[in-house]
Amino acid sequence: MEISGILNALITVVGSPTHVLLLLIAVPVGMFFGAIPGLGGKLGIVLAIPFVFGMDPLAGAIFLVAMHSVVHTGGAIPSILFGVPGTGPDAATVVDGLPMTRSGQAGRAIGAALGASGVGGVIGGLFLLAIMPLLRPVVLAFGPAEFFLLALFGITFIAMLAGDSLIKGLLVGLFGLMMAFVNLDPQTGAQRYTFDFLFLWDGIDIITAVLAIFAIPEMIALGVAGGSIAEVRQRASYGLQGVLKGIRDVFRHWGLTIRTSVIGAFIGMIPGLGGEAASWICYGHAVQSSKTPDRFGKGAVEGVIAPETANNSKEGGSLLPTLFFGVPGSSGMAILLGAFVMLGIQPGPSLALTGMDIVWTLIWALMIANILAVLMFFAVAPSFSYLSYVRGSLLIPFVFTLTYLGSYLSHRAWENLVLLTVLGTLGYLMKRHHWPRPPFVIGLILGPIVEDSFHKATALWGPLFILRPGAMALMALIIISFGIYFWRARNKKLKKAQNAV
Amino acid sequence: MRLTSHKVRMAILAISLAFSAPVLWGVVNGYYVGKNITYIVATNAGGGYDAYARLIGGHLEQKLNAEHVIIRNVPGAGHYIGANTLARSRPDGLTIGTFNAGLIYGQLTGNRALRFDLRNLGWIGKAAGEPRAMVVSARCAIKTIDDLIAAEEPVAFSGAGIGSASYADTRLLSVALGLNIKIIPGYQGTESEMAMMRGEICGQIGSQSSSQGFVDAGYGSYILTIGGDMVGIPNAMDYAGDERARQIVQLISNMAELGRISAAPPNTPQEQLEALRTAYRSALEDPALLETASRMGRPIEPAYGDDVRQLVVGALDQTPESIQIITRALNADAL
Repeated sequence: MEISGILNALITVVGSPTHVLLLLIAVPVGMFFGAIPGLGGKLGIVLAIPFVFGMDPLAGAIFLVAMHSVVHTGGAIPSILFGVPGTGPDAATVVDGLPMTRSGQAGRAIGAALGASGVGGVIGGLFLLAIMPLLRPVVLAFGPAEFFLLALFGITFIAMLAGDSLIKGLLVGLFGLMMAFVNLDPQTGAQRYTFDFLFLWDGIDIITAVLAIFAIPEMIALGVAGGSIAEVRQRASYGLQGVLKGIRDVFRHWGLTIRTSVIGAFIGMIPGLGGEAASWICYGHAVQSSKTPDRFGKGAVEGVIAPETANNSKEGGSLLPTLFFGVPGSSGMAILLGAFVMLGIQPGPSLALTGMDIVWTLIWALMIANILAVLMFFAVAPSFSYLSYVRGSLLIPFVFTLTYLGSYLSHRAWENLVLLTVLGTLGYLMKRHHWPRPPFVIGLILGPIVEDSFHKATALWGPLFILRPGAMALMALIIISFGIYFWRARNKKLKKAQNAV
Repeated sequence: MRLTSHKVRMAILAISLAFSAPVLWGVVNGYYVGKNITYIVATNAGGGYDAYARLIGGHLEQKLNAEHVIIRNVPGAGHYIGANTLARSRPDGLTIGTFNAGLIYGQLTGNRALRFDLRNLGWIGKAAGEPRAMVVSARCAIKTIDDLIAAEEPVAFSGAGIGSASYADTRLLSVALGLNIKIIPGYQGTESEMAMMRGEICGQIGSQSSSQGFVDAGYGSYILTIGGDMVGIPNAMDYAGDERARQIVQLISNMAELGRISAAPPNTPQEQLEALRTAYRSALEDPALLETASRMGRPIEPAYGDDVRQLVVGALDQTPESIQIITRALNADAL
């Protein structure tokens, strides 16, 4: 690794007033796109392309990477305050973020999300630097067999996130899996439960589903209960204190923070798994590695830290295959890739030989943007937390509009608004009768990956694909994961029995 | 003279026509001044169709003196949603669109997703059109087209979705040349190249330029071209054993020529269609556009107006026997 090259790149970024100015503009723009549900980083890049077209290639690339890498930092805000996920991957933040807001800890949750995003983004960048020599063998080690088991591993988290009832969790998860198969069969082209609706050919839109399952039920429940989201009255100065406490929490749980950052970056590095998977897998890891998993879903700050670190670190990870293979690590990266080509930067195997300076510069831009996002937002974060005290009758129409707009913006299909209403009603019924909701989303997200990779793997190697080394390793992970879960469940039962005596 | 006399009335009519003629002319020629044109792209932002649309759209704006050319991404269902949206749009010359010519296969096989007749669109032109080429991975035992023809075990090739151009081309070619190919669908874009690098997929059929980087980096090599002329690489037509095979290879070739097509909705008035065609041609001949396209690595091989219409109509003009062959070839059960 050429230290001088890396340092030169840092000077390129911070030493040029143009680059610094671009960073200062890109960061709030990126956070804005993340904070409005349905917009997201992809649209941000698309809208920014006409502006950067014609710019110096490096300056344009710095702007786009910086903007894209802080989208999820902004996305955490509506997730925590209103239970409306700003972007798909931010849905996992809702599970514990919203309960924290309800108990008057909105400031702390926002602080934790901010700090986690910043640290996650930086660690993601450092991960890029460290893993570069190993990139090719690692990325190429993941084929359909490994994807199948990785997705299956993700689905085992359904059990983990089922809350009090494993049966309910499994039913909801399997229902989500069932919904994932509403599309055009990728193997035969046959229509599956699409009822001749073209908008369902590509499957149920994830953003719509996530907004329906998380945002709509919260607003209906708020309307029914009355009052504001925060159910606890707090002193006016709590805003800033809360945010600082949240940031301290990130460092208090440093082990979890580092682990989920690395896992997120790793998942981002493997093209094909997707951003939503990273945040849910890390959330599940937080639950699994906690000594008190029962706190999750009720306002555990680790439940905010884990997905938020993963959201930002995966951006660093996904930059790797995008730059070095020309294979986008995520759908956002696909657009970024197009933008790079438009700017005259040619991603691909040749970049490693001739364009390493660009790579180092972009990694620095990513890390600095994440730090800037924390600093910029820190100034306004406390005032945001007061939104949780706004009366429901004022908030609900606003959030509903945001939700419907977000659903429409994501796919431009009016039929999704009907779907949003139907699934939203279902989500409310689930909430009312205490059925867990995250497993539905996990089933929906991972279902297509499981199916696609299963078919590819059996087509390539037959049913014995399970005996491939990578597959066996992941199988062992699944078994261990289940083992830990059942061992804990057994211990809980024993403890309960002892306490009863 | 009474004002109502016939001569006077005729004189008034003549004078008003004389004054309105320049105005009418101005209305047709200045039709687009101050107006927005919507350019429907049947894919998400960031891909090839989107890139071409943004590039060409910017120049169309200038050539037509329009206020803006707005790119509207309408993705989904393998370009069918975007194409159907275009066909349903108001035919006032203010909406155009681009989508994959692979929908021609859809019309030939009677795909219900296609809600209109492609022949009825107001064809504006096409921006690219590249011959197809077969690439095999360096890790594959197959090194030449003769090896592939002689292969006794099925050889794994990648395809995008069922019904996509890559899938259709691969199926049709294997029927035409009697190739023992097993298509594994589901490989989108560059996923296929990664699979070839891993060694799980032996080869793919795609446009020549899209695989150039892969081949240049030493991960694979071209073994066959379909409809093109590559030095040292055999041509598929030379391996077509009978008339049926030649017909199929020709169809693949013709379809490959129809790259990045643009059209207006059916019943678009002829004046507006001509204005769009003229502006489109002017845009694609503009040195500034050609320079930018070259920088972006996007080849420009244009054809305009009725030439494109004839290509489309020609591709749709197949005998019942050919349609049967195509339907059977594209039928997934044949996997």
